[in-house]
Amino acid sequence: MSGSQSLQPDPSAIGRLSKAPFALLPDAPRLFRRRSERFEALAEGSHLSPYLHFLARLTAAQADIAAELPVPVPIASEQVERARANQMPPLDRNVMIAAPGPQDVVDRFLTAIEPAEKPRQAADALRGLREATRETREAMLRNVAADSIPFESLPQHVYLSAAVQIYAAKLAGTLDASRLVPIGTGLCPVCGGPPVSSMVVGHQGAEGARYAACAFCGTSWNEVRIKCLACGTTKGIGYKAAETEGEEATVKAETCDECRSWVKILYQNKNPSLEAVADDVASLGLDLLMQETEYRRAGFDPFLLGY
Amino acid sequence: MNMELSRRGFLKVAGAGVAGTSLGAMGFGEAEAAVAAHVRPLKLANTTEARNTCPYCSVACGIIIYSKGDIRKKERAEVVHIEGDADHPTNLGTLCPKGAALKDFVSSPTRLQYPMVRKPGSDRFERISWDEALNRIARLMKDDRDANFLAANDAGVPVNRWTTTGFLAASATTNETAWTTFKVVKALGIVGFDNQARV
Repeated sequence: MSGSQSLQPDPSAIGRLSKAPFALLPDAPRLFRRRSERFEALAEGSHLSPYLHFLARLTAAQADIAAELPVPVPIASEQVERARANQMPPLDRNVMIAAPGPQDVVDRFLTAIEPAEKPRQAADALRGLREATRETREAMLRNVAADSIPFESLPQHVYLSAAVQIYAAKLAGTLDASRLVPIGTGLCPVCGGPPVSSMVVGHQGAEGARYAACAFCGTSWNEVRIKCLACGTTKGIGYKAAETEGEEATVKAETCDECRSWVKILYQNKNPSLEAVADDVASLGLDLLMQETEYRRAGFDPFLLGY
Repeated sequence: MNMELSRRGFLKVAGAGVAGTSLGAMGFGEAEAAVAAHVRPLKLANTTEARNTCPYCSVACGIIIYSKGDIRKKERAEVVHIEGDADHPTNLGTLCPKGAALKDFVSSPTRLQYPMVRKPGSDRFERISWDEALNRIARLMKDDRDANFLAANDAGVPVNRWTTTGFLAASATTNETAWTTFKVVKALGIVGFDNQARV
């Protein structure tokens, strides 16, 4: 995630202002590995421990598969340029899921998570999914691509979302970040999806800038701070977090009085361990508290649907 | 645009808070309930982040002011932190040492909060009303200008200058304010002058 990994001192960086890069494309194995490790760390002593351990296993499987998977055929440069000219996302989700690549990833993922310890409902859903016909799975994948998850088969869609994330992140990783353009507030410039959460980063070259994280393809993109990620207004933005003694919260709800929605904001500049998806799930308490308010959650995370 | 939003109402009704969530549906309802029990006694606190302009110099860096409490929700807000605004084109999040110490400037006990005057011969400042202050300033400016305004120099060249009074205006102003200030001050002939319109 960080802009510079070098330990070598670089005096030329002193006193020079650099504009924060617009998009940070995912390095799929690293993204999922870090997420898995974060889930594991968060599970220690958490009330949500069983679920976090389970997701640590799922994301570890994502990382393993992402590392083994060959680099997918990149999106055609004409398509990227056409998308760029029309401010459209270059990654067409429906085209992507219809290809054989993601189907194969789904099979590998479902096999890989078979041994993971899980409750009966989760085990039943996994078995059902492995036995499901190709047509059923394809229909479910289309729901995943549309971010429209039917509640009656939620667990199956959670697994499929996780599987598709692997391929989408690999594919997003083949793009050239400098050819991406903003396509709208709160929309991923690669796949057009809504953000899970946003994060104020502290890494070199982007100190204090805010990046929104895509749930589908793992891309992070720069968004102006103190702005609603659901409707784009800069008026009536507030922040809510559970009252604590002394220490300032590093995960807050960014609320908008114009459209009455909220999205989580993570202050990675205060706590470098924060991870967009893992800390979204682990801060479920904030979602429960926000349910009592007039605001609706606008962040999208397949691992945390229904709040 | 965001499909999840349109579906939310439906999920809540259908799931009654358990089956309608990823956790409930995957069989982690117990963990979810544990979190719910843990947060039940907790209260949400409001904080705000507001964009502003550093008032020190004419570079006019963008800043973000963090406060506890939200005045829009009829609460008292207290400034807790100020940092550079990374989205501002002038400073991209950076601040000079003076700007970085702005919070102490805001909450300083010696900060000027209302007009004060130290009369000639006095050893202390006294608080006065805005009306008194403006009347006094106008009176003193008029007297000083009448006494010291120079319409022409020794050679008889018209100069229209007033060198015995200076004027210093703040940087956190709009173009319009800066323009008006400039015109008023220069129309009076004041030479010693600095404000945002200089840059």
